[in-house]
Amino acid sequence: MRCPLLLAALIVVAGCDPDPATEVPFARGAQPAYTAPAPVLRRLTYEQYVHTLDDLFGEGLIISASLEPDTRVSGLYAVGASVTSISALGVERYESAAFDVAAQVLADPARRAALGSCVPAAPRDDGCAAELLGTIGPAAWRRPLTEGELGTLVAVAGGAADARGDFDEGLAYALAALLQSPYFLFRPEFGEVSDDGVRRYTAPELATRLSYFLWDGPPDGELRAAAASGALLTDAGLNAAVERLLESPKARRGLRAFVADMLQLAELESLTKDPTVFVYMSAGLGASAQEQTLLDAETLVLDNDADLRTLLTSTSTHLDRSLAALYDVPAPAREGFGVAELPASGGRRGLLGQVSFLALHAHATSTSVTLRGKFIRQVLLCQQLPTPPAGLNTAIPEASESLPTMRERVAKHLEDPSCASCHQFMDPIGLGLENFDGVGRYRAEENNTEIDPSGELDGAAFADAWALGGTLAAHDAFGPCVNRTLYRFAAGREEADAEAPLVDWHADGLKESEYRLKFLMRDVALGPAFRTVGEVE
Amino acid sequence: MSRRLPFRGVGPRALRQPAALAALVPSRRALLRGVLQGSAVFVGLPLLERMLNGNGTALACGGAIPKRFGLFYWGNGNIPSRWVPPTDGDSWELSEQLAPLVNIKAKLSVVSGLSVKVPNLLPHTSGAGGLLSGMAPLSENGNETFAGPTIDQIIAAEVGGDSLFPSLQTAATDASGQSFNGPNSKNPPETDPYALYERLFGASFREPGEEGIVDPTLALRRSVLDAVMGDITTLQGKLGAADKARLDQHLTGVRELETRLARLEEDPPSLEACSRPASAPLTSYPDNDGRPQVTARSRAMVDMLAMAFACDQTRVFGHYLSDPVSNILYPGASAGHHNLTHDEGGDQPEVNAITVQMVAELAYMLERFDAVAEADGTLLDNCCILGCSEVSLGQTHSLDDMPIVIGGGLCGTLRTGIHYRSYTGDNASSLMLSIMRGMDILATSFGSEDAYTESGLSDIEV
Repeated sequence: MRCPLLLAALIVVAGCDPDPATEVPFARGAQPAYTAPAPVLRRLTYEQYVHTLDDLFGEGLIISASLEPDTRVSGLYAVGASVTSISALGVERYESAAFDVAAQVLADPARRAALGSCVPAAPRDDGCAAELLGTIGPAAWRRPLTEGELGTLVAVAGGAADARGDFDEGLAYALAALLQSPYFLFRPEFGEVSDDGVRRYTAPELATRLSYFLWDGPPDGELRAAAASGALLTDAGLNAAVERLLESPKARRGLRAFVADMLQLAELESLTKDPTVFVYMSAGLGASAQEQTLLDAETLVLDNDADLRTLLTSTSTHLDRSLAALYDVPAPAREGFGVAELPASGGRRGLLGQVSFLALHAHATSTSVTLRGKFIRQVLLCQQLPTPPAGLNTAIPEASESLPTMRERVAKHLEDPSCASCHQFMDPIGLGLENFDGVGRYRAEENNTEIDPSGELDGAAFADAWALGGTLAAHDAFGPCVNRTLYRFAAGREEADAEAPLVDWHADGLKESEYRLKFLMRDVALGPAFRTVGEVE
Repeated sequence: MSRRLPFRGVGPRALRQPAALAALVPSRRALLRGVLQGSAVFVGLPLLERMLNGNGTALACGGAIPKRFGLFYWGNGNIPSRWVPPTDGDSWELSEQLAPLVNIKAKLSVVSGLSVKVPNLLPHTSGAGGLLSGMAPLSENGNETFAGPTIDQIIAAEVGGDSLFPSLQTAATDASGQSFNGPNSKNPPETDPYALYERLFGASFREPGEEGIVDPTLALRRSVLDAVMGDITTLQGKLGAADKARLDQHLTGVRELETRLARLEEDPPSLEACSRPASAPLTSYPDNDGRPQVTARSRAMVDMLAMAFACDQTRVFGHYLSDPVSNILYPGASAGHHNLTHDEGGDQPEVNAITVQMVAELAYMLERFDAVAEADGTLLDNCCILGCSEVSLGQTHSLDDMPIVIGGGLCGTLRTGIHYRSYTGDNASSLMLSIMRGMDILATSFGSEDAYTESGLSDIEV
């Protein structure tokens, strides 16, 4: 047993509780002292709303595509969900969606049967309603219902059953009430003070935090049972739960949610390109590009538990026919996605060679060295850039014989001191990717002139996009950036200043684990920020 | 990608009939049975009676004929040198960019030379927030938000209570709109014309002369909302101030919906100009080669907004062609709009063409509203339509000489047919204060700090 090497969180909180699954194969510094900030109130994101209904009632429900829009704050929907509210239009849409779902559940014998087996003795049968709502209610609200809450729902069902003369019609109204409640749409988490004086999330709250973090969905019966028995509040119980969640197929949902949020992949749904300029543009390209990146991440993190940095350098990827055509490689599968190997001759590898990055951070009819550079700085390296000043003339000259490629055209950005103060951090990186046009197709030349894709990233010279992937993977800031983003994703907020030592400690863990994201997900789920909480402010 | 399809099959939509019902086969008989069994069916006063004064005669504009406010918004500004009419006062000619307004020129005023006075620190956002809320927007953690409510919501809070919808927000593209209740509390627009049609003119719509809806499920839906409101207030008791305010917004939305469900049981208002639109909009307006059908979508929505005003379904709207920084690829343009404002050289012919198209859509709205007869004049006469953008010259994000058009005389309270030019860079907040006063709102100021004002723009007031 290598007790001192176990997660220090456990040692600090409750002494050493060895569990082979969580044994860390490297020496680790002591976990820093930690004081938790106040809790946040998170609204379910659109995807979480869908996943929650999937898990409650079974997959395949038709759910409105328009609900309250998600908002990016600190780069993440996960953080925006703690800041925004529900608009009047959102209220309408959630009402509509709730009745739609209730109707589908009650109209489908299998879904209806899953609610419970009691047979109503009359159109209004409060006992049977209480049995059904007493089962689905705690699953929907991720906690036990109070007697009063259950009573209110039963009364709604009963009143409606009276008026409609039908038990299931009555039940529809109670289900709609469940699904419109702030206890469903939001995730209230307050914690309570334990015997040792530390304020910790309650067991149902912790179960909910774990499942939305690792599954992007609600706790299942087993997790709620672990919460109900109190097992989840023990180190062994928590370890076991985290292991189970990470090994479950639903962990793919959780990983996809994180990767999509960090890399802003949802924006691909409205990818706009002029197809007369980019002939490889098609209506489904944004969706395909998103899927490629997510499948690569799933394979890397969950199947292979590999070094996260290979996301930037891997030549093995998932392609469908549209992407294979764009990448100029044989399609690996007739239908859907297959695994393909990208040839070195294509100049393309890793995330920086993917449409999900190249096309999203470019314009409708052209590339953008600034947007691509900015994304790498802000999202992949977590480096802050100043807001562009208002009142500057930002025009760049048209292409011409003396200014054939983007490098010559944006030279002004880099020569004029008022531009260069910011653009020096973005454009030189973006110029390294100019071999890929605005939709991500390889090109050696622009306006009959060979593109020079060389550059420098924070002192490390690179020859082209292929090399830039390696330069970025080796950059000191990449690992800590993923770590910080995951921390925010898990916490639903930006870290407080006082949390910096803990965030750094997790970053060290990621590095020592040789950049296993799965290790980090486990580390954060078991860490003190996930379990302890400050008082409501 | 969303694997869900837009759902139109079952369900209440905004159609006031829960899916549970549709699926479980309601019948007229069942509805009546619900009534007979004593469900709380509230039949309100016919609205006609609300709209008569003590003598039983119809009230003038501002009474039976309500005053209305509409925001017509587009992103990325204009080109002032091609926008500002060369002469001002009563005798003036339209400029190149304002030319599409030729047929409605007598019923609008162009206001030029105003400045947004907030510090121009956040390109586009400072202008949008400064103009519409009179406050410098907030920027924290990379999150930009307006600091206070926008003009449409300030007005809706005063005049929105009597209509079905306190305000409507619509967008002709996938815009997120510019309507805020306060920090981080945004009112997203409806971007789908067909969804808007279903909300406004779907199964729940009643023309003047028809009876209110007799449907016990309306009361049942209200009982559900009562339970939801109970949950919200209970939860609020445990929250800190910021989260409590977030749930206040949620609660407001639920209350509005409950009120709306109750009003559906009332007879519809007896408004002469109100009728069901002859046809529904298309169910989809697909992009053409990555170029959204801005004109078709906008006009479909504008037709509905005109009738929503005429039928008194709302008295306030915000209609957005695009957002600030919008990079929409317009028909014929060689690049996205925002790109062009910064990158196009010379006198920016492509940006100019896009701006003219924005103004053409404004012209369509004003003419459409003017085609609806109301009282002794037209719907437009009883409205104030504020056409604006967040900057003037997009290339430099300038907040001076803002592009502003006021359509309609707001029941004779605002001057029309003039070009008013401020030669001293007057505070744009003054215009907002004049509009609020025109709406009969007792306001003494608009905006804060640098954008604060206690003075209206007297030159545009009658």
